[in-house]
Amino acid sequence: MRRFVYDTYDQEMLEELSRLPEVWDCTGCRTCEVRCPKGLKPVEVLYALRNQMVETGKVEPTVRDALESVFLEGNPWNKPRATRFDWMEGLDVKIAQEGEQVEYLFYVCCTVAYDPKLQVVAQNLVKLMEKAGANYAFLGEEETCCGSEVEALGEEELFQELLEENTELFSNYPANKIVTLSPHCLTALKKYQDLKPEVIHYTQLLEELVREGDLTFDGEYSKKVVFHDPCYLGKQNGIYEEPRQVLKSIPGLELVEFNRSRERSLCCEGGGGKMWVETSSQQERLAETRARDARELEAEVIAAACPFCVLTLDDAVKAVGHEEEMKVQEITEILGELL
Amino acid sequence: MKTFVCIKYVPDTSEADVKLDETGLGVDTSRFSFDINEADNYAVEEAVQIKENHGGEVSVLSIGPQSSEVTIRMALAKGGDDAIRVEDSRIFEHDPLAVAKVLSAAVKDQDYKLILTGCMANDDGNMSVGVAMAEELGIPHASMVKQVEVLDEGKVRAYRELEGGVMEVVELTLPAVLTIQTGINEPRYAPIKGIRQAKKKELKVMSLDDLGLPAEQVDESASKIKLNKMYIPEVEAKAEFIEGEEPEEKAEKLAEILQKGGLA
Repeated sequence: MRRFVYDTYDQEMLEELSRLPEVWDCTGCRTCEVRCPKGLKPVEVLYALRNQMVETGKVEPTVRDALESVFLEGNPWNKPRATRFDWMEGLDVKIAQEGEQVEYLFYVCCTVAYDPKLQVVAQNLVKLMEKAGANYAFLGEEETCCGSEVEALGEEELFQELLEENTELFSNYPANKIVTLSPHCLTALKKYQDLKPEVIHYTQLLEELVREGDLTFDGEYSKKVVFHDPCYLGKQNGIYEEPRQVLKSIPGLELVEFNRSRERSLCCEGGGGKMWVETSSQQERLAETRARDARELEAEVIAAACPFCVLTLDDAVKAVGHEEEMKVQEITEILGELL
Repeated sequence: MKTFVCIKYVPDTSEADVKLDETGLGVDTSRFSFDINEADNYAVEEAVQIKENHGGEVSVLSIGPQSSEVTIRMALAKGGDDAIRVEDSRIFEHDPLAVAKVLSAAVKDQDYKLILTGCMANDDGNMSVGVAMAEELGIPHASMVKQVEVLDEGKVRAYRELEGGVMEVVELTLPAVLTIQTGINEPRYAPIKGIRQAKKKELKVMSLDDLGLPAEQVDESASKIKLNKMYIPEVEAKAEFIEGEEPEEKAEKLAEILQKGGLA
């Protein structure tokens, strides 16, 4: 990392540097930023080098396909735009109407919308909002990708295009707060400077509803749970306490902590566009280290509040062979069991 | 050296739940995504690489609706110089000969040396448009091409992929048609910056009249093929899930079934 930061001072080296495979190893966790005594942002250097490669068109096929899919279909998963709302099937979901003010406008992440394992996050949030009697709505068929991973993959121009399109889209649907399901969307939407409503993560909303007594849980969830801080939620947005408070409100749940938690949390390697890039490192995946650490704590569940963390940790738990003793659950998935 | 690359805008049916439309003569595409036909994408890349290595121009040619222009722009962003999109509802697109006639009409008076197109379209699987174009234009062709070498004396060498892993090497005198097999190269990404810049490149929209091609040569009445119907065959589902607590128990049940069926 240090080498990239120093070497990029030399304009003549930029092209050579942009071709190094290590450019694509960064997960965008921004631990380096949190720790940098000089307040530097080394990630920006890597993203700029990625941008240089993207503009030549010579990128890995997986990166190419993800970016083309966002451009053509509004999601990075090669899924048709027309099936983005299949997750709503069988549910009575309140859809935002143009010009009609709502308190909370939900923005569903592409990964949650399409991944059959994660659709439950959006479905359970609908149920939780109904239970809490909240004034909410979900965006209708115009919803499209926020551009978080597009920017991380170095396609700055496409990110700017999405930013403009989405800013206009949101201006048609007035809300006090926009609620994102993924910390990645949260981080991206916060970069939309002309967005009027405040953007929050769903754990912030749930914490408020629990604190105000609008949301209570009757059942019992007697399991030992360790919370994994998503980098895009914690390090990048300072949201550490809210997800923990939500978990603590669940009757019977025993919350334990990783040694490396909060600002020191270990990245799952799902950010920075890494869902579409193979890593060049031969070392053990950080998510696998995380799964082993969780096992040592004798946790039965790793709770996460990010779709990428759920996917990478779930794979890691299987890879290290702890599938029988331990599972990965999104916080809303746990809450869903009590509804 | 001018190369024409013919591309088709097709629905992606790889992961979709395919259903027929009300007419029974087509597929309901309302829940599909659309993109450039896979093999055509490789043809575009090959055409651009030939231009990069040997000079010349690349013209993109397609028959398709206005919505297909996005894929034409992407091909222009990758290195195409100009494009023609033919749109005319009279073209009987179910007949590859009609399609080949239309495409040939667009190129016949131009000074081209090569025509590249994908070896197969993902939607109709005909594998015949490129070959029929060669026949229509009276020029040689090679199909299923996995490697191209441009030779000096107005020739190309084409490596054709045959069954059983055999490669056949042929030399063709230009102009010629090559139908490109997937995997011949690694298609590049069309960056948004390039797509924006490509908006300045010429994209001509032409009808049959603009091409000087009488509709009665390529419409349904001209075709010797009649589309009867499309249907999705019923699946004879016969899958059995072997239930059991332990792997040993499941294995025992499986062994029993195999033994009973005379397989072990």
